[in-house]
Amino acid sequence: MSCYITACGAALPERIVTNDELASVLGVAPEWIVANSGIRERRWVDANQSASDLAAIAVRDALQQANLPAQAIDYLIGGTLSPDYQVPGIAPLVQRKLVECRQVPALDVRVGCAGLLYSLQIARGLMASNATNTVVCFGAEAQSKGLDLSSRSAELSMLFGDGAGAIVLNQKPSNPLSLRVDDVWLATDGTFAEELGVRAPGTANGARWWDEAQPDLLLPKMNGRTVILHAVRKLTEATFALLDRNQLSLDQIDLIVPHQANLNLLCALGKKLEIKDERIIVNLDRYGNTSSASTFLALHDAQPVLQRGARVLVLAFGAGFTWGAALLTATEA
Amino acid sequence: MLSPSITNYLNQAAREARVEMPEHTASLFDAGVLDSFSLVEFVSILEEEYGVRVSDAELKATNFETIAKIEAFISKNKVADL
Repeated sequence: MSCYITACGAALPERIVTNDELASVLGVAPEWIVANSGIRERRWVDANQSASDLAAIAVRDALQQANLPAQAIDYLIGGTLSPDYQVPGIAPLVQRKLVECRQVPALDVRVGCAGLLYSLQIARGLMASNATNTVVCFGAEAQSKGLDLSSRSAELSMLFGDGAGAIVLNQKPSNPLSLRVDDVWLATDGTFAEELGVRAPGTANGARWWDEAQPDLLLPKMNGRTVILHAVRKLTEATFALLDRNQLSLDQIDLIVPHQANLNLLCALGKKLEIKDERIIVNLDRYGNTSSASTFLALHDAQPVLQRGARVLVLAFGAGFTWGAALLTATEA
Repeated sequence: MLSPSITNYLNQAAREARVEMPEHTASLFDAGVLDSFSLVEFVSILEEEYGVRVSDAELKATNFETIAKIEAFISKNKVADL
């Protein structure tokens, strides 16, 4: 049983936050942000917009591209690091906002930036077992609401943007061009769970899940240097593990669609893999690092350059650490 | 003691960043000799130069923060390799 991505959708908040605007808040120079991240602007939600609002727009966009009504969804899988609520997850809220969507399973996948890859493997498994025909996956973030906008967190807070992306998966290709999901390779190393994340609210923080004496636990934290060391190593290993078991070489990959973490990280990865920049999709200059939404938005933006037979490698690394790679092939219906 | 090629690499990085090489126990990051991204290349060069593989558990920026820590790390891993 095959599994195809038949459409991609996207949703971005209207508000553009430029480096000029953010730099003055964070107490750094706009040029410093570009030099350390490659990011020139990002989108941030307004106070009344949540991650599930963006997700619902992205899903509707993807369904429209697939020429499918929301009733066609058999299974909904979504992820975010900036949920509307602690409980319930984001997937039931998106199911509700789609209105016409039936009472189908709606599952949260909490693996952050690697969400697309984990969702792909679940969707592929569901189709292989004939449990479903049409699966919709999404990643969404409204993480600007949780950033520390003081100068001490400038290195982290300059990175993040809000947005959402979605894909429609089906057992058969449709539209002029679909992406066959050939293989997905995933891994996790929980040893480094505290190197990247948001620790509260949570039950590992003492007697209560939010200790008012430690408000910093509510803010995102990242040991950037260690995260980057691991990201480059793990994504390189994932690339070759996936290629080896599919008896392919990097020369046979037409396009790399990576998680849009930081341009310098993508350059370091490109150097390690010895691939030219033009084979790597980059949109973080406009959107920043949109975490769970990032690879969805990158795949959405890659569509115009895809041609029949093109092989695409999706790479992602995130909190956990969780990481992986997916091999896709552009296929005509 | 670091090998001449590793010492040269760090000196070159300091020259390119137009900063002074810090004391033995002072941070190469704070001094501006290494940053998050040059650290990736530096660890690869260390592995190649000394024929060691930095394990996942030891792949932490703090292990490469000062010349003293790098020397201690190399010394420990060279012994472990034997």
